[in-house]
Amino acid sequence: MAAAVEKVELEHLPATHTVLLALYRDVANAGFLQEQLLSRNVDFEYAFVDASAVASRFQLLSAVHKAIAAEMAGISEAYRRYGVQPATKDVAVVKVLISREGAPSSLSPEDVEKHLQAHVQGESVACSDEELAKVTDWPKLRKYHKLNGLPWIDAIKDEAARKSELEMLIVSAMAMRGT
Amino acid sequence: MATPEPAAAIQPPPPPADSTSTHEFPLPPILQHPSAAGPAELITQGAEGRLYRTSWLTPTRLCALKHRPSKPYRHPTLDARLTRHRILSEARILQKCRREGVAVPALYGIDESQGVLSMEWVPGRPVRVEVNEFLRRRAEKYPHGEGGRGREEVTRDEEGATPLVGLMRRVGEAVGKLHKAGIVHGDLTTSNMMVRPWEKDKGPVNGHHGDGEDDNAERSLEGEIVVIDFGLASQGSADEDRAVDLYVLERAFGSTHPRAEALFTVVLEAYRNTFKTAPVVLKKLEDVRMRGRKRSMLG
Amino acid sequence: MAPLYALGCEGSANKLGIGVISHDPETNKTKILSNIRHTFVSPPGTGFLPKDTAAHHRAHFVSVAREALKVAGLASPKDLSCICYTRGPGMGAPLTSVAVAARTLSLLWGLDLVGVNHCVGHIEMGRVITGADNPVVLYVSGGNTQVIAYAEQRYRIFGETLDIAVGNCIDRFARTLAIPNDPFPGYNVEQLAKKAFFEPDGTTKREPVLLDLPYAVKGMDCSFSGILGAADLLAAQMRKQDALLASGATLKEGEERITPEDLCFTLQETVFAMLVEITERAMAHVGSKQVLVVGGVGCNERLQEMMGLMARDRGGSVYATDERFCIDNGIMIGLAGLLAWETGFRTPFEDSTCTQRFRTDEVHIKWRTD
Repeated sequence: MAAAVEKVELEHLPATHTVLLALYRDVANAGFLQEQLLSRNVDFEYAFVDASAVASRFQLLSAVHKAIAAEMAGISEAYRRYGVQPATKDVAVVKVLISREGAPSSLSPEDVEKHLQAHVQGESVACSDEELAKVTDWPKLRKYHKLNGLPWIDAIKDEAARKSELEMLIVSAMAMRGT
Repeated sequence: MATPEPAAAIQPPPPPADSTSTHEFPLPPILQHPSAAGPAELITQGAEGRLYRTSWLTPTRLCALKHRPSKPYRHPTLDARLTRHRILSEARILQKCRREGVAVPALYGIDESQGVLSMEWVPGRPVRVEVNEFLRRRAEKYPHGEGGRGREEVTRDEEGATPLVGLMRRVGEAVGKLHKAGIVHGDLTTSNMMVRPWEKDKGPVNGHHGDGEDDNAERSLEGEIVVIDFGLASQGSADEDRAVDLYVLERAFGSTHPRAEALFTVVLEAYRNTFKTAPVVLKKLEDVRMRGRKRSMLG
Repeated sequence: MAPLYALGCEGSANKLGIGVISHDPETNKTKILSNIRHTFVSPPGTGFLPKDTAAHHRAHFVSVAREALKVAGLASPKDLSCICYTRGPGMGAPLTSVAVAARTLSLLWGLDLVGVNHCVGHIEMGRVITGADNPVVLYVSGGNTQVIAYAEQRYRIFGETLDIAVGNCIDRFARTLAIPNDPFPGYNVEQLAKKAFFEPDGTTKREPVLLDLPYAVKGMDCSFSGILGAADLLAAQMRKQDALLASGATLKEGEERITPEDLCFTLQETVFAMLVEITERAMAHVGSKQVLVVGGVGCNERLQEMMGLMARDRGGSVYATDERFCIDNGIMIGLAGLLAWETGFRTPFEDSTCTQRFRTDEVHIKWRTD
């Protein structure tokens, strides 16, 4: 089996930051995961994202970048909007490892993978555009980001082109949020 | 003749020690972090700020990163206020255009405290370059003095002008769409419009454009007009502001491409059909032309 | 070839300036032989009216002209090549007074007349004095605010004020505060702004307060009337505070005490930032690294400092002159007129009118071939 957790080097981030991504399908214990977040369990310092609200890997990474850039300040807001709910089926997981004052993070990507595999009851798949596309709930996304009532978008016949326009609008809207 | 002591001419100040053409500017903090795609490339150094070409999130995704550095001449309070205001205004306008379906770069990220705006990198070349390339090819084809017309003004009906006329039409439509969306650009020039090669029906080279290969010359005028640089843009739908926008473009077009000046009417014709009150704007343009952009001033 | 001499007569606003300048067409050397000025100063709180200003110029023309000739030490007025006068732009009545006097001299001595554009006079004088050969020019005075660059024998206007001139804005605000017009209002505003860095004792340092004023730049244009209005409102608020405090009451919780010093500081910081911004935009546009500041407002040290910081960041430098040359004077008219005369330009007697409106870019700059 391929590694469940992928290490991503984002451009223009301090070298102290390492981003880890994972995607789980058909998760059986989303309620449990949400509880860990709500109770601020220090062993569960993850962003558990409802993957149906993710249009693409680019959108997910944009959110990660913004959260890191804002020193994690905006992330609680993001949880509310995209965070895992008891009914969530597919969960994208983001973890940022930060080394401080020269000392590496106390956790390694392997530790994170082990921990997730032990506590997320679901099928681990690659956090790729292809896998994400299978679970994206477009009507929900369009509603979240107020992207209904744009006739020119619906007029785009090519589905890939239409989704790409929507993806860019979502990314733009996320960039604007909180400013 | 008794010549009195003339007032001594003031010596010009010595140029600063670092006054060279390769003047180095400090990068915004975001560009000081590591990037697998290599260092950012400085594209333009305008008065507003500096535009870099760099990567965004992943090494293969290109982005245009605009940095408005703080201005040492400005009071810090005023400087922070203006920078923040302008970054946010530009971001809002980009997003508004995008939502209305106007072709502009997508917004990737904003950091007002750093004065940084990251956008989609638009492939292709500016309209200015495409028009000038067309005129250059035409001049080569019809050299001066051989009964040719290479140095004369382009007319819309002449043989071979069709692609240029088409480009002008798309420019007019793009400006009309922008105005229809309630945006006034504030600095329309042929440098602030890109010709983005069509996504579909692409040339033989996949995803690679803008290297000016002449075998693809006619095709180079083909593409979608993408308006860029909204640093001076504002939201509004006053006919007067729209007319001034057109007037600025008209003057810029005339001074940048004097030999194609006659084709500007095509831009205006196409503009006329883009939204309901466009004819009113064009009427207003005549007034704006009459009084000139500038009023005569008193001494 | 010997140097040529010209008499320049300027009176487009409240300064009557007459001077003698020489230029050697072969060596391109310029010499100032005399530069005499007499200024009509109106009482604090008032501006100079055209009628009074014109009367001032008429009353002083002969004495100023005599002084200019005497200081220049020419053997005879016939050594002059031409009489140069300001054709415009400016205030009608003062312009006319000086034009009439210039015509008289031209008839008296049988010399050619040369009508000169006031703005071009400033630019040519600035170039000669500073050695800036092809700068972007910021021309700032009581009547003008323009960003200019030379191209193909014209001084082209890239940006300008959309309403009142920056100097007019400052002068009128000086009137609001009723600060003296002597030597000129902008100078006194500048001195007050400097005092904003000190407590009332004049020695203890403090951080000046930047009050809230609008900022109005549109591309390479700008506007000042809204700023003046807002500054006047702040001044009115300050007077209310004065009255309140005089009556023994105190200011509202959190209300900042407004002072004339902070007001002047704020006004300068705001309008000068706008001027530097549009100048920088023009420099970026034409790809120039030199900037020349001319006109009365151009002798403000803070404006020069700000312009210098901007130019340094662009790897260039700022060129400015002091009050002898940046404030309206006769030699700048003499210089621009003489340069035109050398190219064969004459103003026939019957055309020797003046005009309140006369754009900088209307003049064919035949003497420049770059």
